[in-house]
Formats: sequence, structure tokens, C-alpha cells
Amino acid sequence: MISVLIVDDAAFMRLAIKNVLEKSGFKVIADAKNGQEGIEKYLELRPDIVTMDITMPDMTGIEALKKIREIDPHAKVVMISAMGQERMVKEAIINGARSFIVKPYKEEHITQTLLKIASDS
Amino acid sequence: MAEQINGDSLLEMFIFETLQNTEQLEKIILETEKNGGFSDSTINEIFRIMHTLKGSSAMMSYSYISSLAHKAEDLFYYIRENPTVSYNCSRISDLILLCMDYINREIDKIKENNEVNFESPEEVIKEIENVLIEIIANRDNIPTNNIDEPSYNSFKVIFYFEEGCEMENIRSFSIIRDIQEYTKDVTYIPDNVIDNDDTALIIRQNGFAVSFRSDKSYSDLHSLFSRIPFIRDIDLTLIDIEKCTISDSPVKELQEVNSINKITKQQDNQVKTETHQSTSQSIISINVSKLDKLMNLMGEVVIAESMVVENPDLKGLQLQSFQREALQLHKIIVEMQDMVMSMRLVPLTTTFQKTHRIVRDMSKKLDKEVKLEFIGEETEVDKKIIEHLSDPLLHLVRNCIDHGLESEKERIEANKPPIGTITLEAFNAGSYVYILVKDDGKGINKTKVLEKAKKNNLLIKPESEMTDREICNLIFLPGFSTNEQVSEFSGRGVGMDVVMQSITSVGGSVSVDSIEGKGTTITMKIPLTVAIIDGMNIEVGRKHFTIPITAIKESFKPNKDNIICDTDGNEMIMVRGECYAIMKLYKQWDIETRISDLTDGILIMVEQEEKKRCIFADSLLGQQQVVVKSMPDYIRKTKIVEGISGCTLLGDGSISLILDAGWLINSEIKYKKEG
Repeated sequence: MISVLIVDDAAFMRLAIKNVLEKSGFKVIADAKNGQEGIEKYLELRPDIVTMDITMPDMTGIEALKKIREIDPHAKVVMISAMGQERMVKEAIINGARSFIVKPYKEEHITQTLLKIASDS
Repeated sequence: MAEQINGDSLLEMFIFETLQNTEQLEKIILETEKNGGFSDSTINEIFRIMHTLKGSSAMMSYSYISSLAHKAEDLFYYIRENPTVSYNCSRISDLILLCMDYINREIDKIKENNEVNFESPEEVIKEIENVLIEIIANRDNIPTNNIDEPSYNSFKVIFYFEEGCEMENIRSFSIIRDIQEYTKDVTYIPDNVIDNDDTALIIRQNGFAVSFRSDKSYSDLHSLFSRIPFIRDIDLTLIDIEKCTISDSPVKELQEVNSINKITKQQDNQVKTETHQSTSQSIISINVSKLDKLMNLMGEVVIAESMVVENPDLKGLQLQSFQREALQLHKIIVEMQDMVMSMRLVPLTTTFQKTHRIVRDMSKKLDKEVKLEFIGEETEVDKKIIEHLSDPLLHLVRNCIDHGLESEKERIEANKPPIGTITLEAFNAGSYVYILVKDDGKGINKTKVLEKAKKNNLLIKPESEMTDREICNLIFLPGFSTNEQVSEFSGRGVGMDVVMQSITSVGGSVSVDSIEGKGTTITMKIPLTVAIIDGMNIEVGRKHFTIPITAIKESFKPNKDNIICDTDGNEMIMVRGECYAIMKLYKQWDIETRISDLTDGILIMVEQEEKKRCIFADSLLGQQQVVVKSMPDYIRKTKIVEGISGCTLLGDGSISLILDAGWLINSEIKYKKEG
């Protein structure tokens, strides 16, 4: 089973993503409400994939992405972006995000993307 | 938990978080105004909130809210990315408050399931666009980059993206970055995917064409490409070098990447790596309905306890150890009850803070400067009651500014500080919370109030007999408004009576004290909780009633000498030289009882807002904590029972009706039996 860590400051989004993933047989092993917590949980749990919200208080998703990639250069991080965040997404890609999903997303967007990335070595 | 994850709980959470966000936004804006400008961190914060609003509302398909938040986010994104631009702070604050108002209105509609009436945020969006255009116009030009050298290619591939994946241009950019690892001399069309977001549309329609050189085989490449997320189709062809005609500026993209790398490095240095220690979660949020349920269950426990301890089967038995354990049980139950109650308590802080906004708006519109002070805002009140407090409080503050405080000129003439002060104060006293709204304005003009009351036929007793306080309290009567001119904010003639209604609906009371020329104080007295009250159980015939202890002054056996009769034969009672009307419950409700003579029963004096009256009942059953339950639906639907605020279960299992203190004092007394 593919293990996933969800990092998002909005409880609503965490719940929404979790719903979709669990329905499709992913294992959401943890969620985190900010970048710092995300990094700590990554260190502790080493999930297969991280979904990372871009805009969060204190530490942006991009900062957290960088830190996670420092800890583990092979970390698979998928950014969760919103419409109009092109520049942030670009920055995330440059910093090693594997892909990104744009809100509002279709359920299969998340599941397909995560499946593809998980199969990727 | 599984059944909880459904559409409803999502919606609930969406509403909850959105309201939290708008509240936060309001706080930020008001603070910003105090500080006189946006700091980088506030801009970031606003941007983030708008972003969250946009995301979650889009997820819930509230496209209007989403599009508005998107526009606002654009604006703040721009400001954030271009810290040197100049802009008009107060205009932007106004704009954000407008957005918030809009969002709050829409959320209200969503809550009421009134989704057909969504209004379009077009005007606000227009306004934001205008501001953004102005800001951009103010901006200085930004320097451009250098150019590198061109090269060649031998494969051509067209990527087609999945429908609705969005940001096709960035995805293309991502592809370019990825394939760089195993290819050379990459060129692509459209070539400006990075700085032109409109290319997303072109790619959506025509696909993203890339040509490159690589030492990998066709099939290797194909399988690599097919693993890229969001790719619907790949059209990969091997081409001759000579025929290649795709590119016009082949390596521009490399230079782009370089420049972006530079930018991010700069940003790295700028953004201080603040590692906020996330303290382990010590607070959880709980659905209020669960707390309500817990409270109800607690009530059941209280009743069950007295049913067991006072069980008729135990009568006459010597039960020493039983009594001891029962006492212990009672102790625990009382403690538990306090605990459950305290879980429902919320500080008044947010309710108080809501007034900031109205003060700001009004002082701007009316050109009166106002200082707002809070005392004891950390005082806690039951969540259910807080809901009923916010509107009255806003209304009172509005009234203070509109009617109470004078203009700066008048204040200086009256030898007062030029800036008026409104103070909101809260404190606990017994099982009540007092909330005071004070202003140092011109006070209430009593002659004007009297005149007005006379004109509207609101006087119930002779002018000369009225105390100052009674005169002031006339303003709470329905249909009373002394302000001749109806202003935008207050003075529509509805108002103070609505405040009164709201507060009395939760069992509180409102009174006003005013010194002309010095100011006005409005006092709201509110019970800490509505769910469990101390009550005095009384008996009339075979019926049981409960009167809230807080309303009872005293109870006594009347002495024959003190009973007086008026000309119609209606009895009244003299107590310490004062005469009180008597309400006989058995007459009021036609209850059969053997006790009809005053000297056989008992009189209970009740008081509310300085009005007193004696209630006649057969006997007192004793004091008890009772759990207030609302009347069952089937009764409420068929008959409106006046004077009953709820019902409760007594220890012996019988039902007791809780009498409404306000009704006991103010309702018309039936002296004669009907029919």
C-alpha cells in the first residue's frame, strides 16, 4: 500500500484529500498542519509520497519541500496548488517537486498522479 | 469515525474555517489601520488567507466566493512580489473589508441553504482590478535578462495533457526540467511557457511540442514520458536533423531556468528560516451539538441520581452506608456538572472584538473619533448565550456612537476630552455575567424620552411617579426611537426593543442608567448557562411547577391582617408597608385544588427588573437543581402555553413545568374564574 503524508494548513483540505486517497486504497499515515510539522512527520514516518500545500503560515510549502528534499533527496513530494499560483509552482518544480495538482481538482487527478509517481523509481 | 466523513461535515468544516479566516482577516485589517500600513508579513498573511478561501470555496463549488478570493489573492500576490510598489493603504483595507462582508453574507446564505440567492461579486472584483491596475501603473520597470547560445535536436514529441489538469504551461516547464536530465538541445513550442500563463490555453488545445537530442532509445523515452502525471497522450517521433523546423530560439528556456534559479537563491536568503516550534496539540475543537448532547446527558444523570436517592422504596429504611455512598456520588456529579458546563464556556473576546469594525466604519462615516476600550473581555459565557449576544452588543455600540457621543466640537464646548470613549466591560457575579456598554457622551434626555413615550402612548403609570431609571428604561419598549432623523446606522425605531428581546430570550435582562451630560451605561445581566438552573418546586393541586430561584425574593405564609381587598373583591398583600398584587396560579390556569384561601397556602414573592409580585401556590416542595428541557414538539405545535419556559423531571419522576419569571410579573392577572 502506498503511504501518504498530507501537509495542509486547512483542516478542510486535509480531510478532502484524505477522503479521496483512502477511497482509492492509499494509506494516509499522517497529516500535518504546517511545514514544520510536515518535516518532522516525514523524518519520523518516511512516507512514500507527500502532498504539500503551497501557501501555509510560518513556513511555505516550498520551504518545507526544500527541507524534506535536503533530508531525503529522493523524497516524492506532490504540491497542491490553486489556480493562478504559476510562479510558486514553478519554484516548487525547480526545487524538486515531482508534480502538482491544481485545486479544484478531480478525484482521479490526485489518485492518478500519486499512482504514477509512486511507480516511478 | 467513518460515517462522519461525509459531505455535511465537509460543508460544516468549510463554513467554520471560512468564518475563522474572515474573522482573522478583519483583525489583521483593523490592526493594520492602527499601525498605519501593511508590513510584509501582513501582506503575506492576507495573501495566504485569500488563497485558502479560494481553494476551499472552489472545492465546494462556490465559484463566486472563489473568484472573488482569487482576485484579491492576485492583488496581494502582486504587492508581495513587488515590495517596492506604492499603494493606497486605506483603499486596500476598505476593499478587503468589502470582500469579507461579501463572503460572510454568502456564507450566511449557505448556512441557511438559501443558495438560489447568491449575488455576484462582480462590483467588488471590478474594484480590485482597478486598484491592481493603478498599482501596476505606479510601478517602475523591471530589468530583463541576458541571452545564451543556441543548439540542435533529433526527436520530436507532442505532449497532450489531461483535461482540467490546469497550468499546462507549468506542467510543460516541469517536463522540460525533467527531460533535461537525459536529453540535450531542447527546444519547445510554445516557447514562453514560463512567463506567459496564457500559453496554458494554447497547450491545452494544440499540445506541447518539444524537440531534443538524446542517446536513449525510442521505447525508453516513450515509457519515461508515459509516467509523467497528467499526460493524456504522447506523440513521439524520431526526426532527421535537417528537417527540424520547430524552434526559433532554442535555448531560451535554459536561460529562463537559470534566471529563476537566481531568483530562488535570492529568496532563499531573504526568507529567514523561522522554525516555529509547533507545540503539541493541546486544544481540540468539538462540535457544539456534541456538547449539547453531553449537557443533556448530564442533566439525565442529575435526574437519575435524585430518582435513585429519593426512591420511594427506600423510605423508612436505615441505610447508613448507602447514604454515605450516595453523598459521594452526589459530590462527583456536581463536579462533573461544573466540568461539562465549563467546557461550553467561551470567552467574550471575539464578541467584543467584533465591535471594532462597527466603530471603525461609523467613526469614518460620521467623522466622530471614538476610543474603544475593553475591560474583562476574557470573561466566559455559555456558547449558546454568546450567539445571542453579538447582535445586541453591536447594536448598543452603534447606538452609543450615533446617539450617545457628541461631535468633537460639542465635546470641547462641554469641557470634555475631544475623543469620545466607549467602554465594554464584562464581569462575573454569582451565576450571572454582567456586560456593560458605557459611553461618556451626552446621556439620555429624560424630558425628550417622556415626551416621546407620551406621544406613542407607551406610559403605563403617571409621569410624576416614575423614577429616573424607569424613564430611561422606556427606550427598551417596542416602537420607541427618540432620534427624529433616521441615520444609516441606527434609529429605525426597531432596535433597543430587539436588544431587550434577544437578551431576555436567554433569560437575561437589560437596564440603562444615564446621567445627562455625563454619559450612559447599559447593563446586560446574563445567566452563565441556560441548561441547569436552581429552582424552587411548588405544588398547585396535583400539578408541579418550578420557579427559578434567582427570581424569588422570599416566600411566606400570609397573615390574615395583611390581606386587603379592593372594591372588586380582589386580594392584595401588604408586606413591610408595601402593597403587592397576588397572582393565584390555580385561578390563572384553572387548576383544581382544595386550597383556595390565602392563609392555607403560601405566597412567593418574585422580582424582575425591580418589579415585584406575589405568586400564590398550595405549598413549597423544596429547592432543587433542575435541568431545563424545552417543551416537547407535539405540545409546542398544538398549543402555545404562555408563561412556561420549559419543563423538567423531578426526583420522583413527575414532570414539573418551569415558570417564566418575566411572565409571572408582567402578565395580566385573572381574578375571576372564567365562564
